[in-house]
Amino acid sequence: MGKIKKPLPVVNPWAKPFWEGARERKLLIQKCKDCEKFIFYPRIVCPYCFSENVEWVEASGKGTIYSYTVVVNNAPSAFIDDMPYVVAIIKLEEGVQMLSNIVGCEPSELKCDMPVEVTFEKLNDGFTLPKFKPAKE
Amino acid sequence: MTGLRGKVAIVGIGEVPTGRFPETAAIYHAIESARRAIKDAGIKKEEIDFVMPTAALFSPQFNTELVTSRIVEELGLVNCKKNCQVFSGGSSGSCGLQMAGSLIVTGAAKYVLYVHADRLGTGVNLQEGIDLFSTAGISAEWEVPYGQHYSAIAALTTTRYKFETGCTDEQLAAVCVSNRKWAELNPNAFFKKPLTIEEVLSSKMLSTPLRAKMSNMLFDGGSAFILTSAERAKDLPNKPVYVLGEGGVVTHFVFSQEPDLCRFGWAKAAKEAFGEAGLSAEDIDVAEIYDSYPVYQLIGFEELGFCQRGEAGEIFMRGETWPGGKIPTTTDGGMLSKGHIGAGGGVSLIVEAARQLMGKAGQRQVEGARFAVETGTGGTYMDAQVTILGTEIP
Repeated sequence: MGKIKKPLPVVNPWAKPFWEGARERKLLIQKCKDCEKFIFYPRIVCPYCFSENVEWVEASGKGTIYSYTVVVNNAPSAFIDDMPYVVAIIKLEEGVQMLSNIVGCEPSELKCDMPVEVTFEKLNDGFTLPKFKPAKE
Repeated sequence: MTGLRGKVAIVGIGEVPTGRFPETAAIYHAIESARRAIKDAGIKKEEIDFVMPTAALFSPQFNTELVTSRIVEELGLVNCKKNCQVFSGGSSGSCGLQMAGSLIVTGAAKYVLYVHADRLGTGVNLQEGIDLFSTAGISAEWEVPYGQHYSAIAALTTTRYKFETGCTDEQLAAVCVSNRKWAELNPNAFFKKPLTIEEVLSSKMLSTPLRAKMSNMLFDGGSAFILTSAERAKDLPNKPVYVLGEGGVVTHFVFSQEPDLCRFGWAKAAKEAFGEAGLSAEDIDVAEIYDSYPVYQLIGFEELGFCQRGEAGEIFMRGETWPGGKIPTTTDGGMLSKGHIGAGGGVSLIVEAARQLMGKAGQRQVEGARFAVETGTGGTYMDAQVTILGTEIP
């Protein structure tokens, strides 16, 4: 089963800076220069005020777990060997949400709203995925 | 609020059993459901002038047949002017009903045949089903690379819902038990053997805290309904089932972007639908609430106003949603017990609501049912669609 390759992110052209940043272990999100809201996932236009004036900024990498689950059975083919693995929705300090995996943590230690911080896992030469681990005290 | 209130009615329904039927063709589920709906409506097949097949997921080839008028040709619907697909995942029935209603009100159509069929039980194996539902409706850039799939999605909502409301695993299991009570009385349901809370809680863990028997299973099946004007409905044999109100909210595409993981847009959609109908949850005799996983049925039940937030689990535990209970809920057994047939999960609930209101639900008939609510949601719970139906116009 280990032969099945992990699905790589299917990258939209305007999201390239995010994936280039991740390769350099930086978590980049967008910010609207007009309404000043943070934006994730990357958009061609601010989804709040419709401004095209959006820029890339580095997120603090800190956030909390909005919700989580430990996948122990019936995973998609490419993830069978990873079980058990943790899928979680992270609320970043900047207010945006993203899906990720929690690593470096016993599943029994997981709690909603617990603080986490970003870490990076290299998938291959092209892709590094931002993941999260429990925040240091 | 759509302006359809009391102007259009469901006048015929058709359905084939949900299950695994390797010996038959996928199109059978579509044409047999459609044939039964036309017969049930008491109209001639030549009166159908608009066919709305929703999408099938198991095979692009089969879906293309639905798009390219195979149903029209197979059934000889010679006066059909348009065959056009309406598809929004699990809310296809709710959205299709509204679109069909609008066509009738403007005079663009007289009799719309809305039909769903799919073959997810025998058309794909278990792992193919898991893999299909680890990509269908899931963002290929932002979620697929993290091992996201529908069990994990339901588990994410369940974890947070338990955290916010104190809901217990027993209460989640009680939803499955309630739906099974109804399925036991439904000849078209796949799972008809009695189910206990203990059995649910001892079934295999999939994605914590979601267990195998809290998860829907995929099957073959189909259902259909005929919609026409309230005026024409009066001359037809069935008790007309009027559309009384509709409300809808689209909240997200990427699941992790949903701002309220355990409420979604239900309260807003329900307010709109009940407002148009001039009714509230207290007036409802039958609640056909979309149930792909138990947590979504609890959320729908609460957000529609049948109880306060966090109370639904206890109500299901007490059996108030069972046959003979105060609030008969998801009376065909839902996706958890009748079986999940794809986009038709919501279509089945509309058909079941109409069946109850027409008084044709057999052993599971809710006596004297006048008003029903139906909910549907597509993709990764991307929208909240609420429809109020009734046999009288309040």
